[in-house]
Amino acid sequence: MRKLFEFIRSVYVVVLFVALEAIALNYYARSSHYTQARLLVRSAEIAGGVHGFFAGVRRYFTLGRENRMLAGRVAELEERLAAYGVAETAARLATYLDDPKARTYRMMAATVISSSVNRTQNQIILDRGRLDGVVERMAVLSLDGAMVGYVVDCTDRYSVAIPVLNTAYRASGRIAESDYIGSVYWDGADQHVALLGDVSKYADPQPGQRVVTTGFSQFFPPDVPIGTVESAELNETQTAYTVRVRLAAEIATMTEVLLVENRDRAEIESLRQSEKLKPNNSPE
Amino acid sequence: MYRIYPFVILFLTTALLQVFLFDNLSVSIYLDPLVYVAFVLLLPLDIRPVTLLGAGLAMGLAMDFAMGTAGLNTVPTLLIAFVRPYLVAGLYSRDDAREGGIPSPERLGRAVFAKYVVAAVAIHHTVFFALESLSASLLLHTALRIVASGAVTVACVRLIVSVFTAKRSVRV
Repeated sequence: MRKLFEFIRSVYVVVLFVALEAIALNYYARSSHYTQARLLVRSAEIAGGVHGFFAGVRRYFTLGRENRMLAGRVAELEERLAAYGVAETAARLATYLDDPKARTYRMMAATVISSSVNRTQNQIILDRGRLDGVVERMAVLSLDGAMVGYVVDCTDRYSVAIPVLNTAYRASGRIAESDYIGSVYWDGADQHVALLGDVSKYADPQPGQRVVTTGFSQFFPPDVPIGTVESAELNETQTAYTVRVRLAAEIATMTEVLLVENRDRAEIESLRQSEKLKPNNSPE
Repeated sequence: MYRIYPFVILFLTTALLQVFLFDNLSVSIYLDPLVYVAFVLLLPLDIRPVTLLGAGLAMGLAMDFAMGTAGLNTVPTLLIAFVRPYLVAGLYSRDDAREGGIPSPERLGRAVFAKYVVAAVAIHHTVFFALESLSASLLLHTALRIVASGAVTVACVRLIVSVFTAKRSVRV
């Protein structure tokens, strides 16, 4: 018996190491981007203030560029608004704006307080949370309206989004001015390039063509720019293209983002869950 | 007997540097230095293996919580905490290793210290990036990330050790 204790005493560090390592590995293996976002949003509750301070300092240096971009955006929107110059239209538009129910998409701005692009599972922490009206699955767009990612988890004051630069990210994309669609994902190789996979072999994508979101996405409004085609190659079986898409959003240097909620999503979702859609409920 | 508070400060400094500086670098996918390993590497030579393992666990957990990585930091940090005594024994053959002191170029000699840091960082970063990508298709890409990030980490550890051991009497 004493010998057993002595043996255990001589190897207990090894045993402890193996046990701890096994637990950590197991936890990592079972984690998904969702558990990771949960962890990060909790830590943001503690460290968010300091992150916010540094983000504020960083932001200061990009204010000029941001301002120019916003001014450009305002001008563009003004121009679009001017197209509705007719008084009646303007009046009707005003009633739309007054009635939040008529708008499908609700938008708000948020500040990026921490983000990374040097991991394969990158995440973005935003300084808006549940109290500000952020909900899970809101779309995240850059200030010039390009696709960035979607919100995965939020606490009262902070939220965590996964950007397209996360290998767990999936969205649908369409080659603009065509009906060819595919799924947008990232292979973890280049922070400026995402992939559009499973595009029909008839699509023949050309460099420079725009890639936008489809209307099928549960996160994004239709026709949000994703990027432009850089190159495309057919897969081994010659049945589909994998397109390299240069991203429109500069995720590494982003300091402000737009959050977009699809107000109809809950309704669509509840329809999808509807009892009547279940196969065993079909009328005889 | 060591006073514990310099090491508490070292823990906090390396953790804060990692979370608020290096995690926000966002320069390139190839540059993700994990300088918090400096904490595990600079603990005294005569530390008990189980304490070392505990220190590695604490740092790994803290980093996983801060980065939202669910175990990804704990696995390699525990590993280097576990192999550190063997690494020191393998590289530093003189008998006075057990007498303690902080591993530094002055204590171990420049060449041995360099080998010690490079080997430990290589083990840590290889496990970290391999686990993170978990894909054989990006082998070269992952290797490049290990080398680039590892080089920056080694440089930072060298810097941290010179600051940490400055104005301290080094036991030889």
